[in-house]
Amino acid sequence: MMIDRRLLQNVDWSLLAGATVLAGLSATTLACLHPGRAGSAVALRQVAWFGIGLVALAVVASIDYQKLVRVAPILYVLAVLAVASVFVVGRSVSGARRWIGVGPFSVQPSELFKLAFILTVVWFLTSRWAQPVTSGTVAWLFPLAALPAGLIVKQPDLGTALLIFPVLIVLLVGAGIGARLLSAMGAVALAAAPVAWLALKDYQRERILVYLDPFRDPLGSAYNVIQAKIAIGSGQLLGKGVAGATQSRLAFLPERHTDFIFAVFAEMWGFVGCLVLLAAYALVLLRGFDIAASAREPVGRLVALGATTLIASQVLVNVGMVTGLLPVVGIPLPLMSYGGSSMVVSLMALGLLLSVRMRQFQ
Amino acid sequence: MNPRRLPPSDRRDAGQKRVVAIAAAVMVAFLVIVGQLWYLQVLEGGRFLDASDKNRTRVRPIAAPRGILFDRHGAPLVDNRPAFTLSLIPRELDRDVERRNAALGRVASLLQISYEELVEAADKVSPDSLSPVRVRRGLTLEDVAKVEEWKLELPGVIVEVEPQRAYPTRRFAAHLLGYVREANDDQLKQGRYRRGDMVGQSGLERLLDEYLRGRDGGEQIEVDALGRPIRTIKQTEPQPGAQVYTTLDRRIQEAAERALEGHAGAVVVMDPRSGDVLAMVSAPAFEVDRFTSTIDRAAWLKVVQDPAHPLLNRVIQSQYAPGSVFKIVVAAAGLQEGTLTPMDRTHCNGEFHLGAWTFKDWKEGGHGGVDLRRAIVQSCNIFFYQAGLRVGGSTIARYANQFGFGAATGVDLPGEKLGLIPHPKIRQGKKAATWHAGETVNMSIGQGQVLVTPMQVARFMSAVANGGVLWKPRLVQRVERLERGVVWSDPGKVNGHVELSPLVWAFLRQSLWSVVNEGGTGAAARIPGLDIAGKTGTAQTIANSRADKGQDHAWFAAFAPLNDPEVVVIVLAEGGGKGGQVAAPIARKILQSIFMEKVAAIEILG
Repeated sequence: MMIDRRLLQNVDWSLLAGATVLAGLSATTLACLHPGRAGSAVALRQVAWFGIGLVALAVVASIDYQKLVRVAPILYVLAVLAVASVFVVGRSVSGARRWIGVGPFSVQPSELFKLAFILTVVWFLTSRWAQPVTSGTVAWLFPLAALPAGLIVKQPDLGTALLIFPVLIVLLVGAGIGARLLSAMGAVALAAAPVAWLALKDYQRERILVYLDPFRDPLGSAYNVIQAKIAIGSGQLLGKGVAGATQSRLAFLPERHTDFIFAVFAEMWGFVGCLVLLAAYALVLLRGFDIAASAREPVGRLVALGATTLIASQVLVNVGMVTGLLPVVGIPLPLMSYGGSSMVVSLMALGLLLSVRMRQFQ
Repeated sequence: MNPRRLPPSDRRDAGQKRVVAIAAAVMVAFLVIVGQLWYLQVLEGGRFLDASDKNRTRVRPIAAPRGILFDRHGAPLVDNRPAFTLSLIPRELDRDVERRNAALGRVASLLQISYEELVEAADKVSPDSLSPVRVRRGLTLEDVAKVEEWKLELPGVIVEVEPQRAYPTRRFAAHLLGYVREANDDQLKQGRYRRGDMVGQSGLERLLDEYLRGRDGGEQIEVDALGRPIRTIKQTEPQPGAQVYTTLDRRIQEAAERALEGHAGAVVVMDPRSGDVLAMVSAPAFEVDRFTSTIDRAAWLKVVQDPAHPLLNRVIQSQYAPGSVFKIVVAAAGLQEGTLTPMDRTHCNGEFHLGAWTFKDWKEGGHGGVDLRRAIVQSCNIFFYQAGLRVGGSTIARYANQFGFGAATGVDLPGEKLGLIPHPKIRQGKKAATWHAGETVNMSIGQGQVLVTPMQVARFMSAVANGGVLWKPRLVQRVERLERGVVWSDPGKVNGHVELSPLVWAFLRQSLWSVVNEGGTGAAARIPGLDIAGKTGTAQTIANSRADKGQDHAWFAAFAPLNDPEVVVIVLAEGGGKGGQVAAPIARKILQSIFMEKVAAIEILG
C-alpha cells in the first residue's frame, strides 16, 4: 500500500501514546489479578490483542475515510447481517448469543457494527449537509438505529444496544441539529416511554426495574455494585498495591477481568492511580475532539466526532456503573477490559481518528 | 455541499463550536467521576477499607411463599408451611475444586445423600452466581443440626427456611390443584426459571404458575470470623404469590372424595346455573406432597408406571362409553324432531332382532309393555333400539354434538380429551367403511364407538337442568394480588346452546325425576324430600359382558332439585358394575352432604 510521506508526518503520536499507556495498564492489572503464570498468560493474550489491534488501526488509518464513508451503506448491511447471524450460528456464553466463530476466534459482530453504524450515519448526514437537519432527517435515521439495536437487545446485550443512541445524538448535534428539534426528540422519547412500558410483559418490566434499581434483585447486581464500591473505596488515596488488593484477588468482585476491571485497578492504585488512568483517557478523547474540531470538511469532522464519542460514552458508562453512579449495564471499558473484539474495535476507532488527522493538511 | 449558504470559514466555526461544546460536556462528566472517586476513596475510604478488611458480607435468599388457593367460600385448599432446604451458594463455595468437593463429600455423608448429585449441582452453575442452588428439600431438624454443627468447615453450604406446600390431606383434590416440583431441564431451557425453582407441573398450579409464584427476596448480612451474623446490611422482602379463588367447595370436594373411596373413577359436581365446578375428583389420586420434596427416582417411576394411572385426570383425560345416560340425547332428538312421541309404546321381551343380529336388553325376559317415559325410567334397551333406528344415526349424532359431545369443554386444564361421536354421513362418504344400522342401534344406548369424558357429561347434564345452556366449566373465579387487587378473573363463558321446545325439556326432566323417585333404575339415589333427577348408565367394556363380572363402568348423572336445579352430580365408577347399584349410591352420599341442612330439616319435620 502506498502511503504518502506527508501523511506520515501528521500521525498524532500523543493519541497513540495514550492508547499504549492504557493497554499497558490493562495488561499489568490483568497480570496482577492472578499470581504466577496464569496471570502472565492472560496479560500476554491481552498484549497480543493490542498488537492485532494496532495492525487493524494502521490498516484503517491508511485508507481514506472519505472512501470508507462512501461504501458505508454496504458495510452497514454486512454488519447487520453479521449481527443477525449470531442467532443462527452464534456461540452461546452464559445464556447470551453474541459471538460467532471465525477460525479459532470468537468475534462479536455487535462490536464491529458500531463502526459501520458511525460511518453510515455520517454518510447519511453529509449527503444532505447543505440542508439543515430537519425532523425528516431524524425520521430516516431512527429505523437505521432501531433495527440493529433491537437485534442486539435480543442477544441479549442491552449495554451495546443503548450505546448506539448517544453516538447518534452527538452526530446529530455535530451535524447542526437545531436546539428546538433536539428538545422535541427528547419530548417524544419521554412520551413514548410509558407506551413502551405498557406493551412489555410483567417479567420484562421486572428486568428493566432491576436495571434501574439493582436492589430489587439483592442476589444479583446490587451485590456486585456494593462489592465494587468496597473495592474502589478501600483503595483510598494511594491504593493497596498488588498484594493488598484482597477484594479483587479473593474474588469478591464479579466480572473482574472485563466489565469491573476499573474497580480492580482502583483498589490496587487508589485515587492517584485512577487520576492517571482517567488522564490517559482524557488525553485520548481530547485529541479526538481536537481532530474533529480542526477537520477541514464535515465528513472528516463527523467521522472523528463519532469515533471519539464511541470511546467516550463507553468510558463514562462503564466507570459510572462501576462507581455506582449509573445502573448496571454490561459495557466493557475500552482498551482496559479483557477481550479481543472490544480491544480491536476500539483501536480501529482510533485508526479512523488518525485517518482524519493525516488527511487534514493535504 | 452548498457553499452558497454560508462562507466556508463561518461554517467551520459553527461546527467547531459544537465540537468544543461536546468535548466540554464529556470533560464535565469526567469531573463528576473524579468527584465520586474522591468521595469513595478519600472521604469514605477508611470505612470501605474497614469493610474490605473484614469483607464477610454474605447474601442469604429469603424464599417467597407460593400463592394460596382458596375455595369459593374462602377456605384454603392448600397452604404453606416452613420447611428446611439445603442450598449451595456457588460464589461462597471454595474456589479450589478439590477442597470444595471435600466439603460436599462431608455434607453427603452427614445427610446420607448422594455425593455425585451434590457435585453435579455445584458444577452446573456459574461459580460467580449468588443465587442459591437448592439441592435437598424437606430436611429434618436433626439434619439441620448436623449441618449447623459443621458450618465452619462448609463454606457456601446453607440451610434455608423455605415455605413449602402443605395439603389438608395427602391426596386432596390432587388432579385439580396439581403438584409442584423443581423446574425440569426442559423448563430451564426456556430461560424463565432458575435451577431449583419450584414450578407448578400440573393442574391449577401449572395453569396459574405465573401468578402463584412470588419473587424471592434476600438480605445481605455481615458475619464475623466464625460465620455468625452480626447485622443486616440490606434486606429486600420477598413478594408472596397471588391468591387464587377457585370455584371449588371444599366441603363438597371432601364429601365427593369420601363417597368415591374404594373405586377407581371420577366425580364432577357442577353448578348448572354458572358452570362452576364445585368438586372434581379423579381416583385413584396420587399423593401430592410426595412430589414437593426431592423425590427419588424409584418412587417417581412407581407413580408413573402404576397400572392404575394415578396421574391421569379421569375427569377430562379418560374417555368412556356413556351407556344409557346417552338415551337422554336420543329421546331429546326424537321428541324435538317429531320422530318420537311420549305415547310411543313397545313390547319389550328382552331381545331385539336386526337382520342376523340379536341385541339384548340388560334385563333377562324384558320389561314388558313400555312407553317412552317407562323406557327412560327402566332404562329399557329394546325401546331405544327401535327408537334410535326411527330417529336415525345422523340426527342422534347432530344432537349429541349440540349437547357438547365430541368437542372440548374448554376447561382450563391441559390435556383434555374430546370424546367421539361417530357420524353416519361422514362415514358414508368413504367407500370402504359403510354405516350399518347395527351401529345406530348400539349408538342409541350409548355403546359402540360413542366416547365421552365425565366433564362432558357434567356439561350436558347441566344443559338438561338449566334448559340448554352449555357452560364452559369454570375452575377459577379470580386471582388477587395483595396490593394490586384482582389481576385475573374469569367471568364465565357460554360455549353453546341447545334449542328444544319447553315441552321436551319438561318431559325429559320429569322422566329423569321418575328414574330416581318412581322405582326406576336410579332409586338408590333417592333422598326423600329432595327432588333428585338422574339417569343411570352401564358402559360395557366387553361386548355382552354381564354386569356382575365387574368389568362394566357404572355411570350416574344427576341434578337436584328438580325445580331450579342447583347442582349437577356426575359419578363414574370404573369396573364398578351397574350404574344403579354402584354409582347411584355414591351420588346419593354426595347429594346428601351438599343438601345436609335441607335433608336434616326434612327429617325433623317428618
